[in-house]
Amino acid sequence: MAKSLLLICRQSPWAGTAAREALDIALAGGAFELPIALLFMDDGVFQLPVGQQATALEQKDLSANLQALPLFGVDDLYVCQASLARRGLTDATLSLPVTPLHGAELPALLARFDLVMTL
Amino acid sequence: MTTLHLLSQSPWRQPLDSVLRLLGADDALLLCGDACQALHTGSEAWSLLQTLPATVRLYALQEDLQARNLGAAERVTPVDYPAFVELCAQYDKVNGWL
Amino acid sequence: MSDLQVNGQTIALDKDGYLADRHDWNDAIAAALAAREGLELTAEHWEILHLLQAFYAEFQLSPATRPLIKYVALKLGPDKGNSLHLNRLFKGTPAKLAAKLAGLPKPTNCI
Repeated sequence: MAKSLLLICRQSPWAGTAAREALDIALAGGAFELPIALLFMDDGVFQLPVGQQATALEQKDLSANLQALPLFGVDDLYVCQASLARRGLTDATLSLPVTPLHGAELPALLARFDLVMTL
Repeated sequence: MTTLHLLSQSPWRQPLDSVLRLLGADDALLLCGDACQALHTGSEAWSLLQTLPATVRLYALQEDLQARNLGAAERVTPVDYPAFVELCAQYDKVNGWL
Repeated sequence: MSDLQVNGQTIALDKDGYLADRHDWNDAIAAALAAREGLELTAEHWEILHLLQAFYAEFQLSPATRPLIKYVALKLGPDKGNSLHLNRLFKGTPAKLAAKLAGLPKPTNCI
């Protein structure tokens, strides 16, 4: 049985390469049918709101890439509700069907996985 | 399953509250590098650490404490590198916060 | 880098034979790329190539095999969205070869 991996994405898509690297890990793992889940927290929640335009900065469109996750078999997607709330994004329209988690649900999520990686 | 969380950055650069939100009751926190600066008693970071349940173990890398002239406050266990490695094996998984 | 000659035009390819600029793509170039692979494109090939371009427009990346199969199944039904059908059309490496013929970059998550 393949080991399950929880990727914790904590970086804004506009702050260096961490967001892209986390997505690359998720897509590569998904392509090989590894059980992978994503948790967006802290500035990582900035990857989720719709309407962002990477082309304005001549960058690759991370939002578009993120939409491919379910097709790559990665549909176990979570977001830290407190991180959203602190950034005024509680009611924002998000581009992915993420399950909001708060309080004790967060450590409970971590406990479910064989491996955890924070990026 | 238990997790050993590794912190290496100053709590003013890498706020502790998000780490603490993920900590389970049987998890542990190992401070190295400037993360040890959280152990200045009286600091905001130190107060936050005090809110952790007693079951959460706190460790700090001995040489990083020494270098910063920090003592290991109550409930913080100083560890050397061999003990660090042992801890990594003792918990089900290790999560590094970069 | 190598080149492809199509109707007197020189089209730049990367070291793996993928289009250097995917905007170069047209039907004649697809047919020429296929000929290099010893393939003659049929209607069954074309519908997959056009689907791949839709995939790229939507997600801005080339799919690996599994997502390609899923996407084809989603859009054209399970009769076409299965590895047997796609392997038969694209010589056993549908993600890589179909992306190449559709003018997309090489999929990064494939061996």
